[in-house]
Amino acid sequence: MALSFACALGHAPGIVAWREAAPAEQRERLYQAFGELRARLEAARLEALVLFTAEHWANFFLDHISPYCIGRAQEFSGPIEPWLKIDQAAVPGAPDLAEAILTACQEHDIEPAFSYELRLDHGTMVPLHFLTPAMQLPIVPIVINTLAPPLPTPRRCFLLGQAVGEVVRRDARRIGVIATGGMSHDPGERNHGVIDESFDRQFLDAMKDADAQRLKNYTVPQLHAAGAGAVELLNWIALGGALGGARGEVLAYEPVVPWATGIAAMAFNVVSAS
Amino acid sequence: MSIYALQKAIRDVNRDPAKRAAFFESPAGLAAQYALSEAERDALQRRDYATLYALGVHGLLLRPFSILHSVSEADYLRAIRGQG
Repeated sequence: MALSFACALGHAPGIVAWREAAPAEQRERLYQAFGELRARLEAARLEALVLFTAEHWANFFLDHISPYCIGRAQEFSGPIEPWLKIDQAAVPGAPDLAEAILTACQEHDIEPAFSYELRLDHGTMVPLHFLTPAMQLPIVPIVINTLAPPLPTPRRCFLLGQAVGEVVRRDARRIGVIATGGMSHDPGERNHGVIDESFDRQFLDAMKDADAQRLKNYTVPQLHAAGAGAVELLNWIALGGALGGARGEVLAYEPVVPWATGIAAMAFNVVSAS
Repeated sequence: MSIYALQKAIRDVNRDPAKRAAFFESPAGLAAQYALSEAERDALQRRDYATLYALGVHGLLLRPFSILHSVSEADYLRAIRGQG
Protein backbone atom coordinates (compact mmCIF):
# COMPACT_ATOMS: atom_id res chain seq x y z
CA MET A 1 0.00 0.00 0.00
CA ALA A 2 2.81 2.38 -0.83
CA LEU A 3 0.55 4.56 -2.97
CA SER A 4 -0.89 6.28 0.03
CA PHE A 5 -2.37 9.52 -1.28
CA ALA A 6 -3.31 11.09 -4.60
CA CYS A 7 -4.86 14.37 -5.58
CA ALA A 8 -5.03 16.90 -8.38
CA LEU A 9 -5.32 20.65 -8.04
CA GLY A 10 -4.85 23.90 -9.93
CA HIS A 11 -1.72 26.01 -9.67
CA ALA A 12 -2.82 29.41 -11.01
CA PRO A 13 -0.58 32.09 -9.50
CA GLY A 14 -3.62 34.22 -8.65
CA ILE A 15 -4.70 31.64 -6.05
CA VAL A 16 -1.93 33.03 -3.85
CA ALA A 17 -0.66 36.22 -5.49
CA TRP A 18 -4.05 37.87 -6.18
CA ARG A 19 -6.18 36.29 -3.47
CA GLU A 20 -8.38 39.32 -2.99
CA ALA A 21 -9.22 39.60 -6.70
CA ALA A 22 -11.46 36.52 -6.59
CA PRO A 23 -15.05 36.51 -5.33
CA ALA A 24 -14.86 35.59 -1.63
CA GLU A 25 -17.24 32.64 -1.95
CA GLN A 26 -15.26 31.00 -4.74
CA ARG A 27 -12.00 31.62 -2.96
CA GLU A 28 -13.25 30.16 0.31
CA ARG A 29 -14.67 27.05 -1.37
CA LEU A 30 -11.30 26.42 -3.02
CA TYR A 31 -9.25 27.13 0.10
CA GLN A 32 -11.51 24.80 2.05
CA ALA A 33 -10.98 22.05 -0.52
CA PHE A 34 -7.20 22.61 -0.48
CA GLY A 35 -7.36 22.41 3.33
CA GLU A 36 -9.20 19.10 3.07
CA LEU A 37 -6.53 17.79 0.69
CA ARG A 38 -3.85 18.84 3.16
CA ALA A 39 -5.66 17.09 6.02
CA ARG A 40 -5.88 13.88 4.00
CA LEU A 41 -2.23 14.16 2.95
CA GLU A 42 -1.17 14.58 6.57
CA ALA A 43 -3.33 11.64 7.67
CA ALA A 44 -1.54 9.52 5.06
CA ARG A 45 1.81 10.16 6.84
CA LEU A 46 3.68 10.43 3.56
CA GLU A 47 7.41 9.97 3.21
CA ALA A 48 7.68 11.29 -0.35
CA LEU A 49 5.58 13.05 -2.96
CA VAL A 50 5.72 12.65 -6.75
CA LEU A 51 4.33 15.57 -8.76
CA PHE A 52 3.23 15.58 -12.37
CA THR A 53 3.70 19.27 -12.94
CA ALA A 54 4.32 22.01 -15.46
CA GLU A 55 6.74 24.86 -15.67
CA HIS A 56 6.51 28.13 -17.54
CA TRP A 57 9.90 28.75 -19.19
CA ALA A 58 11.50 28.50 -15.75
CA ASN A 59 14.17 25.90 -16.55
CA PHE A 60 13.72 24.96 -20.17
CA PHE A 61 13.74 27.04 -23.32
CA LEU A 62 13.53 26.19 -27.00
CA ASP A 63 17.25 25.40 -27.05
CA HIS A 64 16.39 22.14 -25.28
CA ILE A 65 12.94 20.77 -24.55
CA SER A 66 12.14 17.25 -23.47
CA PRO A 67 8.68 15.67 -23.31
CA TYR A 68 9.20 14.65 -19.68
CA CYS A 69 11.91 15.62 -17.23
CA ILE A 70 12.36 13.94 -13.88
CA GLY A 71 13.92 15.95 -11.08
CA ARG A 72 16.52 13.92 -9.20
CA ALA A 73 18.09 16.70 -7.13
CA GLN A 74 18.81 16.47 -3.40
CA GLU A 75 17.05 19.80 -3.04
CA PHE A 76 14.94 22.12 -5.16
CA SER A 77 14.47 25.83 -4.67
CA GLY A 78 11.60 28.11 -5.47
CA PRO A 79 9.58 29.99 -6.27
CA ILE A 80 11.38 31.82 -9.07
CA GLU A 81 8.66 34.49 -9.08
CA PRO A 82 9.43 37.20 -6.51
CA TRP A 83 5.80 38.40 -6.73
CA LEU A 84 4.14 35.08 -5.94
CA LYS A 85 3.74 35.82 -2.19
CA ILE A 86 5.22 32.46 -1.29
CA ASP A 87 8.42 32.54 0.78
CA GLN A 88 11.62 31.30 -0.81
CA ALA A 89 12.10 27.70 0.21
CA ALA A 90 14.44 24.77 -0.26
CA VAL A 91 12.33 21.67 -0.83
CA PRO A 92 14.09 18.34 -0.26
CA GLY A 93 14.27 15.89 -3.17
CA ALA A 94 14.05 12.10 -3.19
CA PRO A 95 16.82 11.16 -5.63
CA ASP A 96 16.59 7.43 -5.02
CA LEU A 97 12.88 7.44 -5.84
CA ALA A 98 13.60 9.56 -8.92
CA GLU A 99 16.16 7.00 -10.03
CA ALA A 100 13.72 4.13 -9.49
CA ILE A 101 11.17 5.98 -11.62
CA LEU A 102 13.73 6.57 -14.37
CA THR A 103 14.65 2.88 -14.37
CA ALA A 104 11.02 1.78 -14.49
CA CYS A 105 10.36 4.16 -17.35
CA GLN A 106 13.15 2.50 -19.35
CA GLU A 107 11.50 -0.87 -18.70
CA HIS A 108 8.29 0.61 -20.14
CA ASP A 109 10.09 1.88 -23.26
CA ILE A 110 9.88 5.51 -22.12
CA GLU A 111 13.10 7.52 -21.89
CA PRO A 112 12.51 10.68 -19.88
CA ALA A 113 15.10 13.39 -19.47
CA PHE A 114 16.34 14.11 -15.99
CA SER A 115 17.76 17.06 -14.12
CA TYR A 116 19.76 17.59 -10.97
CA GLU A 117 18.86 21.26 -10.90
CA LEU A 118 15.21 22.14 -11.39
CA ARG A 119 13.97 25.47 -10.16
CA LEU A 120 10.37 25.50 -9.04
CA ASP A 121 7.87 28.06 -10.27
CA HIS A 122 4.22 28.60 -9.35
CA GLY A 123 3.34 25.35 -11.15
CA THR A 124 4.79 23.41 -8.23
CA MET A 125 5.04 25.99 -5.45
CA VAL A 126 1.35 26.95 -5.33
CA PRO A 127 0.22 23.34 -4.72
CA LEU A 128 3.02 22.77 -2.17
CA HIS A 129 2.06 26.00 -0.40
CA PHE A 130 -1.36 24.49 0.33
CA LEU A 131 -0.44 20.81 0.76
CA THR A 132 2.90 20.91 2.58
CA PRO A 133 3.34 24.52 3.73
CA ALA A 134 6.40 23.60 5.82
CA MET A 135 8.01 22.42 2.53
CA GLN A 136 9.50 19.46 4.41
CA LEU A 137 8.22 16.50 2.40
CA PRO A 138 10.77 15.12 -0.14
CA ILE A 139 9.53 15.51 -3.70
CA VAL A 140 10.16 14.13 -7.17
CA PRO A 141 8.89 16.67 -9.71
CA ILE A 142 8.07 15.25 -13.14
CA VAL A 143 7.82 18.15 -15.59
CA ILE A 144 5.74 17.42 -18.67
CA ASN A 145 6.27 19.65 -21.70
CA THR A 146 3.12 21.76 -21.91
CA LEU A 147 4.80 24.71 -23.67
CA ALA A 148 6.41 23.84 -26.98
CA PRO A 149 4.75 21.63 -29.59
CA PRO A 150 4.78 18.82 -30.32
CA LEU A 151 3.57 17.91 -26.84
CA PRO A 152 3.48 14.31 -25.67
CA THR A 153 0.12 12.68 -26.35
CA PRO A 154 -2.38 11.88 -23.60
CA ARG A 155 -1.86 8.19 -24.37
CA ARG A 156 1.88 8.46 -23.71
CA CYS A 157 1.36 10.54 -20.58
CA PHE A 158 -0.99 7.86 -19.28
CA LEU A 159 1.73 5.24 -19.95
CA LEU A 160 4.28 7.38 -18.14
CA GLY A 161 1.87 7.50 -15.22
CA GLN A 162 1.49 3.74 -15.25
CA ALA A 163 5.26 3.32 -14.97
CA VAL A 164 5.34 5.76 -12.05
CA GLY A 165 2.41 4.02 -10.39
CA GLU A 166 4.19 0.68 -10.55
CA VAL A 167 7.29 2.04 -8.85
CA VAL A 168 5.28 3.75 -6.16
CA ARG A 169 3.24 0.62 -5.41
CA ARG A 170 6.29 -1.58 -4.91
CA ASP A 171 8.23 0.99 -2.86
CA ALA A 172 8.26 0.40 0.89
CA ARG A 173 7.67 4.08 1.61
CA ARG A 174 4.30 5.79 1.92
CA ILE A 175 4.19 7.90 -1.23
CA GLY A 176 1.74 10.45 -2.57
CA VAL A 177 1.25 11.26 -6.25
CA ILE A 178 -0.32 14.51 -7.41
CA ALA A 179 -1.06 16.40 -10.60
CA THR A 180 -0.99 20.18 -10.85
CA GLY A 181 -2.38 22.74 -13.26
CA GLY A 182 -5.26 23.18 -15.63
CA MET A 183 -8.05 23.42 -16.16
CA SER A 184 -9.28 25.59 -19.03
CA HIS A 185 -7.27 28.80 -19.32
CA ASP A 186 -5.36 30.69 -22.00
CA PRO A 187 -2.65 32.65 -20.19
CA GLY A 188 -1.04 35.47 -22.16
CA GLU A 189 -3.05 34.44 -25.24
CA ARG A 190 -6.06 35.85 -27.06
CA ASN A 191 -8.65 34.05 -24.94
CA HIS A 192 -7.09 35.01 -21.63
CA GLY A 193 -9.96 35.14 -19.16
CA VAL A 194 -12.17 32.67 -21.05
CA ILE A 195 -13.09 29.58 -19.01
CA ASP A 196 -14.76 26.57 -20.65
CA GLU A 197 -16.77 25.22 -17.74
CA SER A 198 -18.42 22.44 -19.71
CA PHE A 199 -15.06 21.11 -20.97
CA ASP A 200 -13.70 21.26 -17.42
CA ARG A 201 -16.65 19.36 -15.96
CA GLN A 202 -16.48 16.63 -18.60
CA PHE A 203 -12.78 16.17 -17.91
CA LEU A 204 -13.43 16.00 -14.16
CA ASP A 205 -16.03 13.28 -14.81
CA ALA A 206 -13.44 11.19 -16.68
CA MET A 207 -11.00 11.56 -13.77
CA LYS A 208 -13.72 10.86 -11.19
CA ASP A 209 -14.75 7.66 -12.97
CA ALA A 210 -11.10 6.60 -13.55
CA ASP A 211 -12.10 6.24 -17.19
CA ALA A 212 -8.78 5.24 -18.76
CA GLN A 213 -10.17 5.09 -22.29
CA ARG A 214 -11.64 8.58 -22.15
CA LEU A 215 -8.46 10.00 -20.66
CA LYS A 216 -6.22 8.32 -23.25
CA ASN A 217 -8.55 9.26 -26.09
CA TYR A 218 -8.26 12.98 -25.47
CA THR A 219 -6.03 14.63 -28.05
CA VAL A 220 -3.67 17.54 -27.56
CA PRO A 221 -5.74 19.72 -29.95
CA GLN A 222 -8.88 18.93 -27.92
CA LEU A 223 -7.15 20.02 -24.73
CA HIS A 224 -5.64 23.05 -26.46
CA ALA A 225 -9.07 24.16 -27.65
CA ALA A 226 -9.91 24.88 -24.01
CA GLY A 227 -6.91 27.23 -23.85
CA ALA A 228 -3.15 27.01 -24.18
CA GLY A 229 -2.94 26.26 -20.46
CA ALA A 230 -5.52 23.47 -20.60
CA VAL A 231 -2.80 21.20 -22.00
CA GLU A 232 -1.56 21.06 -18.41
CA LEU A 233 -4.28 18.43 -18.03
CA LEU A 234 -1.64 16.10 -19.48
CA ASN A 235 -0.36 16.10 -15.89
CA TRP A 236 -3.76 14.89 -14.70
CA ILE A 237 -3.87 12.20 -17.38
CA ALA A 238 -0.44 10.97 -16.24
CA LEU A 239 -1.83 10.85 -12.71
CA GLY A 240 -4.74 8.83 -14.09
CA GLY A 241 -2.21 6.29 -15.35
CA ALA A 242 -0.53 6.13 -11.94
CA LEU A 243 -3.80 5.60 -10.07
CA GLY A 244 -4.48 2.08 -11.31
CA GLY A 245 -8.23 2.63 -11.51
CA ALA A 246 -8.73 4.51 -8.24
CA ARG A 247 -11.85 6.64 -8.45
CA GLY A 248 -11.88 10.27 -7.54
CA GLU A 249 -13.94 12.85 -5.76
CA VAL A 250 -14.25 16.47 -6.84
CA LEU A 251 -13.89 18.50 -3.67
CA ALA A 252 -14.27 21.80 -5.51
CA TYR A 253 -14.50 23.25 -8.98
CA GLU A 254 -14.66 26.99 -9.55
CA PRO A 255 -14.34 28.97 -12.76
CA VAL A 256 -12.56 31.97 -11.26
CA VAL A 257 -12.66 34.80 -13.79
CA PRO A 258 -10.27 37.17 -11.98
CA TRP A 259 -7.73 34.35 -11.83
CA ALA A 260 -8.57 33.56 -15.49
CA THR A 261 -8.70 29.82 -14.83
CA GLY A 262 -11.03 26.93 -14.13
CA ILE A 263 -9.68 25.55 -10.86
CA ALA A 264 -10.41 22.16 -9.35
CA ALA A 265 -9.38 20.12 -6.36
CA MET A 266 -9.77 16.34 -6.57
CA ALA A 267 -8.91 13.56 -4.15
CA PHE A 268 -8.56 9.91 -5.16
CA ASN A 269 -9.49 6.83 -3.20
CA VAL A 270 -6.13 5.09 -3.58
CA VAL A 271 -6.42 2.98 -0.47
CA SER A 272 -9.46 1.00 -1.58
CA ALA A 273 -7.97 0.55 -5.05
CA SER A 274 -4.76 -1.05 -3.74
CA MET B 1 11.83 32.23 -40.03
CA SER B 2 13.78 33.38 -37.02
CA ILE B 3 10.95 33.07 -34.53
CA TYR B 4 13.36 31.07 -32.38
CA ALA B 5 15.83 33.96 -32.22
CA LEU B 6 13.01 36.42 -31.58
CA GLN B 7 11.68 34.38 -28.67
CA LYS B 8 15.21 33.92 -27.37
CA ALA B 9 15.74 37.69 -27.37
CA ILE B 10 12.51 38.23 -25.44
CA ARG B 11 13.26 35.45 -23.00
CA ASP B 12 16.73 36.89 -22.40
CA VAL B 13 15.29 40.36 -21.71
CA ASN B 14 12.74 38.80 -19.35
CA ARG B 15 15.23 36.72 -17.42
CA ASP B 16 18.75 38.19 -17.71
CA PRO B 17 19.23 41.48 -15.82
CA ALA B 18 22.13 42.54 -18.07
CA LYS B 19 20.14 41.92 -21.27
CA ARG B 20 17.15 43.68 -19.75
CA ALA B 21 19.26 46.74 -18.93
CA ALA B 22 20.70 46.67 -22.44
CA PHE B 23 17.23 46.59 -23.97
CA PHE B 24 16.00 49.47 -21.84
CA GLU B 25 19.07 51.48 -22.80
CA SER B 26 18.94 50.68 -26.50
CA PRO B 27 16.27 48.40 -27.96
CA ALA B 28 18.02 48.53 -31.34
CA GLY B 29 21.36 47.61 -29.78
CA LEU B 30 19.88 44.58 -28.04
CA ALA B 31 17.93 43.54 -31.13
CA ALA B 32 21.13 43.68 -33.21
CA GLN B 33 22.59 40.86 -31.10
CA TYR B 34 20.08 38.37 -32.54
CA ALA B 35 19.64 37.00 -36.06
CA LEU B 36 16.24 38.54 -36.70
CA SER B 37 14.35 39.37 -39.86
CA GLU B 38 13.69 43.03 -40.51
CA ALA B 39 10.04 42.69 -39.45
CA GLU B 40 11.02 40.91 -36.25
CA ARG B 41 13.70 43.46 -35.38
CA ASP B 42 11.30 46.31 -36.00
CA ALA B 43 8.52 44.77 -33.89
CA LEU B 44 10.93 44.04 -31.05
CA GLN B 45 12.42 47.53 -31.01
CA ARG B 46 9.01 49.17 -31.04
CA ARG B 47 7.51 46.66 -28.61
CA ASP B 48 4.73 46.12 -31.10
CA TYR B 49 2.87 43.44 -29.16
CA ALA B 50 0.30 42.79 -31.89
CA THR B 51 3.02 42.00 -34.43
CA LEU B 52 5.18 40.05 -31.99
CA TYR B 53 2.16 37.91 -31.14
CA ALA B 54 1.22 37.45 -34.79
CA LEU B 55 4.82 36.41 -35.53
CA GLY B 56 4.35 33.57 -33.06
CA VAL B 57 5.88 34.68 -29.76
CA HIS B 58 4.52 32.48 -26.96
CA GLY B 59 2.05 34.21 -24.66
CA LEU B 60 3.98 33.23 -21.55
CA LEU B 61 7.03 35.01 -22.97
CA LEU B 62 5.23 38.01 -24.42
CA ARG B 63 2.98 38.86 -21.48
CA PRO B 64 5.90 38.93 -18.98
CA PHE B 65 7.84 41.07 -21.49
CA SER B 66 4.94 43.52 -21.60
CA ILE B 67 4.75 43.58 -17.81
CA LEU B 68 8.39 44.75 -17.71
CA HIS B 69 7.07 47.83 -19.48
CA SER B 70 4.07 48.24 -17.18
CA VAL B 71 1.52 47.36 -19.87
CA SER B 72 -1.87 46.62 -18.28
CA GLU B 73 -3.60 43.32 -18.94
CA ALA B 74 -6.42 45.08 -20.76
CA ASP B 75 -4.02 46.98 -23.04
CA TYR B 76 -2.01 43.83 -23.71
CA LEU B 77 -5.10 41.82 -24.62
CA ARG B 78 -6.41 44.59 -26.86
CA ALA B 79 -3.08 44.60 -28.70
CA ILE B 80 -2.78 40.86 -29.28
CA ARG B 81 -6.45 40.64 -30.25
CA GLY B 82 -5.80 43.24 -32.92
CA GLN B 83 -8.07 45.75 -31.23
CA GLY B 84 -5.23 48.06 -30.32
